[in-house]
Amino acid sequence: MSLNILVVDDSRMMRTVLIRTLHISGLPVGEVHEATNGQEGLDQLAKNWIDLALVDINMPVMDGETMIDHMRANPLTKETPVVVISTESSPERIELLKKKSAGFVHKPFTPETVRETIERVTGVNHESGD
Amino acid sequence: MHHTVGIAEMKVAKGTDDLIITHALGSCLGITAYDPMARVGGLLHAMLPQGSLNAEKAVENPYMFVDTGLPSLFEACYRAGALKNRMIITVAGGAAMKSVGGGGDDFFQIGKRNIIMLRKTLWNEGILVKASDVGGAVARTLTLEISTGEVVTRSGATATVLLPARPNAVAAAEGRKP
Repeated sequence: MSLNILVVDDSRMMRTVLIRTLHISGLPVGEVHEATNGQEGLDQLAKNWIDLALVDINMPVMDGETMIDHMRANPLTKETPVVVISTESSPERIELLKKKSAGFVHKPFTPETVRETIERVTGVNHESGD
Repeated sequence: MHHTVGIAEMKVAKGTDDLIITHALGSCLGITAYDPMARVGGLLHAMLPQGSLNAEKAVENPYMFVDTGLPSLFEACYRAGALKNRMIITVAGGAAMKSVGGGGDDFFQIGKRNIIMLRKTLWNEGILVKASDVGGAVARTLTLEISTGEVVTRSGATATVLLPARPNAVAAAEGRKP
């Protein structure tokens, strides 16, 4: 089983780093879709089958938290696992974001942290997938 | 057979009774690479972060530096039959060791700089670390057992299993079906 992944971040550099991390992680990655804000993320979710979304919080047009709220209100994307990847430092905010998502990765991150979080959230292991 | 890797050295082994060991990892980095299918493994003991610190030395002995030693370690493993997408990497060392005599602080931060260079080099190579035991202010011994892939660090009386023995590798080493 390969994972179709949506990467939502307004920084092109950050999307590039995340996509390279996905490709070198050994995880079975299928299609990778990109979006630069929450609204574009929702548009991509409407057009493609996504198994996992990596979502930044602070973005223009629509922030990541609003995007996750919209996803949860839609029966088609209600169960789609979301990993929040953010610079958020307030413990209260992090706790809230953790409740809304399946995993939280703090920026700056190591590629290994991203891999471990995805493995935990999806149950897909990089050693079992080719 | 036990293979001891000295400072600024690297060894690759593929025998079922082989064990690679390196001692006295302080700010130095010990890096193991292991392919569980080919049962090929290597260990590098690099001293300093980058070869450009002494370009002549880097050509003479690439294993002295993290950024030149790592690609050399990987190439040696590939030549022995390992495949990149199966390689499992572990790292130990990179400690903040005080200067000789016990006084002073870790002014040059060699351990920290070695770890940063390791991250940069692995990112360029497209390989992630599976497990690590780095930092702190302790000296470590690192071992890699080729038949099982088990990687252990020892510091004083404390042993840490970085990578547990793989059952299928154990079975294959003993001539059984996994």
